[in-house]
Amino acid sequence: MKNARSIGLFLLTMTLAAGVTGCKHRAQDITTIPGGGGPPSSPPPAINNTPGNPQPGPGVGEITPPPNAVTGGNIPINPSGAYANLFNGPHSEDHEKFKADIIYFDFDSSTIKASEESKLQAVADYFKTAPATEALTVEGNCDERGTEKYNLSLGERRALAAREYLSNLGVSPDRIQTKTWGASQPADKGHNEEAWKQNRRDEFVLITPKN
Amino acid sequence: MNLKMYIDSKTSAAGRGSRRGISRTKPWLGWSLALPCALFLAALTVLRAQSPDETIEIHKPTTHIVPISISGFSGDVESALAFDLESLGMEVTSPDKAEYMVNGSQDGRVQGSLTPSKVAQPLWARAYAGGNARSQAHAFANDIVAEIRQTKPIFQTRIAFRRKEGSGTEIAVADFDGYDAAQVTRDGTLVGGPCWIPGRRALLYTSWKGAGEEILEQNLGNGERRVFANNPGANLSPSVSPDGRKVAMILSRGGSPNLWVCNIDGSGLKQLTSTREEDSCPTWSPDSREICFVCRSGRAELQKISASGGTARVLRVAGVYGNLTSPDWSPDGKWIAFTSGSRNFAICVVPAAGGDAQKLVAGEDPCWAPNSRTIVFGRQIGEKSILCLLDVPTKHVKDVRQISGSCSEPSWAR
Repeated sequence: MKNARSIGLFLLTMTLAAGVTGCKHRAQDITTIPGGGGPPSSPPPAINNTPGNPQPGPGVGEITPPPNAVTGGNIPINPSGAYANLFNGPHSEDHEKFKADIIYFDFDSSTIKASEESKLQAVADYFKTAPATEALTVEGNCDERGTEKYNLSLGERRALAAREYLSNLGVSPDRIQTKTWGASQPADKGHNEEAWKQNRRDEFVLITPKN
Repeated sequence: MNLKMYIDSKTSAAGRGSRRGISRTKPWLGWSLALPCALFLAALTVLRAQSPDETIEIHKPTTHIVPISISGFSGDVESALAFDLESLGMEVTSPDKAEYMVNGSQDGRVQGSLTPSKVAQPLWARAYAGGNARSQAHAFANDIVAEIRQTKPIFQTRIAFRRKEGSGTEIAVADFDGYDAAQVTRDGTLVGGPCWIPGRRALLYTSWKGAGEEILEQNLGNGERRVFANNPGANLSPSVSPDGRKVAMILSRGGSPNLWVCNIDGSGLKQLTSTREEDSCPTWSPDSREICFVCRSGRAELQKISASGGTARVLRVAGVYGNLTSPDWSPDGKWIAFTSGSRNFAICVVPAAGGDAQKLVAGEDPCWAPNSRTIVFGRQIGEKSILCLLDVPTKHVKDVRQISGSCSEPSWAR
């Protein structure tokens, strides 16, 4: 079929070229358009993997550290930490437990403010006596004054800043996972500084094993 | 009048245009057309070379608004032609005011000719078969634009974007003008802006469907998807190199959101930056050797780094202030488009080597079309965002067809 079409198109084009020779300005060359016009034109079929059970793909592999690594204060995330199974497996999330301890940030900043330190101390104190099975998710959020991808990184940086702070207060960093929501989960949907300052925040979620 | 025609640029642009539009859907068809096309063009060139007295000089405007008339068409064909030509900085007007006249008919198939106003004869007349009326109109418009603007055809290309309706966000794809939109994901969770894998009908995007932010790869042909990257910590903002061999992304496994690269099969993961503050928004140079990204040091600035590692260098951006984010490197390598500002966002361009930046229009998240001239971007209108097309040299903006919901973070298939 491929060859037959090629020959057909070749003959068609040569015929047209011959036509042009006879009448150069009035000639028409015909452009054939495949159905629909342009990829990908058909709606994609339904997604075939089940939610929560994606096919495994490559991801974690050999890592080459960057030259002149400046890690100043960065605490790498341990893929085989003691709580990895809890984070990746079935667990319950308590969003109310640390509701009073939400910490807030200045615009475009991931620096922990002095005013927020007592809240982090309260979270750290909880984990001093908490059952060893419990863990923490820090969720970083931004106000709307940044582009989407920029805010995703900024939200993650804010969550990691709290993780570092809690680690300095004695909570194992393996016990803390981070999450970024960018600007997608505003606490206040307004478009002014009053709203924005409520949105630049870290929320703390208590993670417990599901029985 | 002694006139001279730029035969080389004209014929090669037209030839490239017809081959490219077809080969994107069916590569074998493109190849099978290549030889006859070349012979056809050779025949044309020989023909014209033999008639030097009849060559005509055609002005090739690229930067001014071109008045153009369209006659003989109606309905979908007329509206598609008008939209396409306007999106490349032309203005549809009456024949007496037009610099170029588009004439033709759509009886059974779209056929038409292009005539410069100062010339009695059409430059060419062509007919279009197959597809539907809209796609024939787009193919005709591609040929017109190849003639007048001398750019690569874009009217049969697709865009992917993020669409928010209610509380969920999903990935969707559509024709460049917003027609034929189709939803790609149905997860009901947050997703990040998509990125095409060059030369394939496949996307990478960040998904919050699993335990953490992970990067998924989805084949648009059969709907299959797999986890592309699920490193510990956040896996964000994938960007595939133009040669299709590498992926740049933002991972936080090193303790901070930094720039990493790996091969397209996921192997060879390598950390490129290790700054304390976060990095974001990677985009590749057309030769797939360099990455431009955003680093926050005091404010968000654009930096460049070799894809094989080394020291990142700040890209000098003069004349635009505030945060500089979401860069996108033009396919011809000359420009980097980006977003400036922190709320009243603006689309800007700067030479890829750095220098004076130009603030063009209000909007965010620019992405270049394959022609390195048109940009698709998101623009906020009240509570929703819509997608728009910008013709960079003329600053002419066209809204794409309204798609329900809020559409943002566009990626142009190229």
